[in-house]
Amino acid sequence: MKFLCVPCDTRMELAQTRPPDRGSISLVYSCPDCGYEFAMLTNPMETQVVGSLGVEIGGESSGQAAKQESKCPFSGMVQEMSAASEVAGRTGFPWTETARRRLETVPDFVRPMAKTGIEKYAKDEGYTEVNDEILDAARRFFGM
Amino acid sequence: MKSYHDIAGDGGSRVVEQVEAQRARIDQNLAGVRHRVAIGSGKGGVGKSTLTLLLARSVARRGRRVAIFDADLNGPSQARLAGLSAAPLLPGRRGVALARDRDGVGVVSLGSVVPEGRALDFDSVEKGSSYLWRATREFTAVGELLGSVEWGRLDYLLFDLPPGAERTQQFADYLGPETAFVLVSTPAGLSRAVVSRSLAALETTSNPVLGYVENMSGYYCADCRAVKPLFPQDRQVELSLPCLGRVPFDPSLAAACDRGEAADEEADRPTLAAVHAVADRIIREVEADR
Repeated sequence: MKFLCVPCDTRMELAQTRPPDRGSISLVYSCPDCGYEFAMLTNPMETQVVGSLGVEIGGESSGQAAKQESKCPFSGMVQEMSAASEVAGRTGFPWTETARRRLETVPDFVRPMAKTGIEKYAKDEGYTEVNDEILDAARRFFGM
Repeated sequence: MKSYHDIAGDGGSRVVEQVEAQRARIDQNLAGVRHRVAIGSGKGGVGKSTLTLLLARSVARRGRRVAIFDADLNGPSQARLAGLSAAPLLPGRRGVALARDRDGVGVVSLGSVVPEGRALDFDSVEKGSSYLWRATREFTAVGELLGSVEWGRLDYLLFDLPPGAERTQQFADYLGPETAFVLVSTPAGLSRAVVSRSLAALETTSNPVLGYVENMSGYYCADCRAVKPLFPQDRQVELSLPCLGRVPFDPSLAAACDRGEAADEEADRPTLAAVHAVADRIIREVEADR
């Protein structure tokens, strides 16, 4: 979608994005020639449709970028799974610093899922913390 | 007044740029994969996932490096079939490490992280509108996974597709024309009719379709050591593509797969022999063409 300042016949430029508010994001556009500004306010359905592309309005590097949602599209489900696991005493594991750093090589898209799965595996194997040893053991066990 | 096409750029949203970057990341991550083969059907319940795993193992036994991507996010079954239900997503050097089954076949399946009995649920800012965006979100998730896994160097990456003729076509569009397709049917007229729709859908793309496999082509009775009919043979629905092989149903093999156990390769089973013949044919077709 592009916006045109009709009096100037000039493309309007994205000047500002604001964080989501109950599913709506606000995008302020301005005309580089006359300085006229207007705001586009998305409805939640529009926000969701754009968010389904896995992008952020204005780009990921934009400091003011409005993040439509967590980068993990399953964060709600993962939280529910974690909560269910905590009831069973499976999560809430401490992680050593080096293990935590290794987890960061997993893209944030799937990191919460990875974390939950590793903690479950560690618990099932009788570990009381997630450390390098359990990560290496799991990798060997699953042929990685 | 200027029109849309008179104006360069995308208005500052950078949406197109980010989508293109996603595609570039996927292509870069799959650069070590020589051949992509998608196993589809259009019809559910034809044994597509089991056949995909058996074919992957057969291709691996022929000295090829093979992995499976379980593209059925809503009904993932490869993790269970491969005995990797308990395999968590583990960190590799720069992404997600590739889990392997006992035959060395790499498997990526959400079935290893989403428990059975739980439906895949995407975050949503508004409930009740998933019909508008869900398919797009699923393909974005497929892309994120493809771009996150350390595939390394592979001779074959097999895609176990979800059912649905429209899904088959969408995956053809998404995976690009270099991905070859194999369709799976049963001998039943209903199944062949649905597969013929999938074929018609694929004919609108430029993807090569190697042929179809007739799965559950009779069943193997271990007592009388014979293959007997399982479905009424219905040849009224013609499939205008080569039949790559006919694979009989073997209850004991199906039970082993269901438990995530390996097939007994030493056993004299017509099902495995048929799978190996299909694997040989796929290798011949794919490697002759490219």
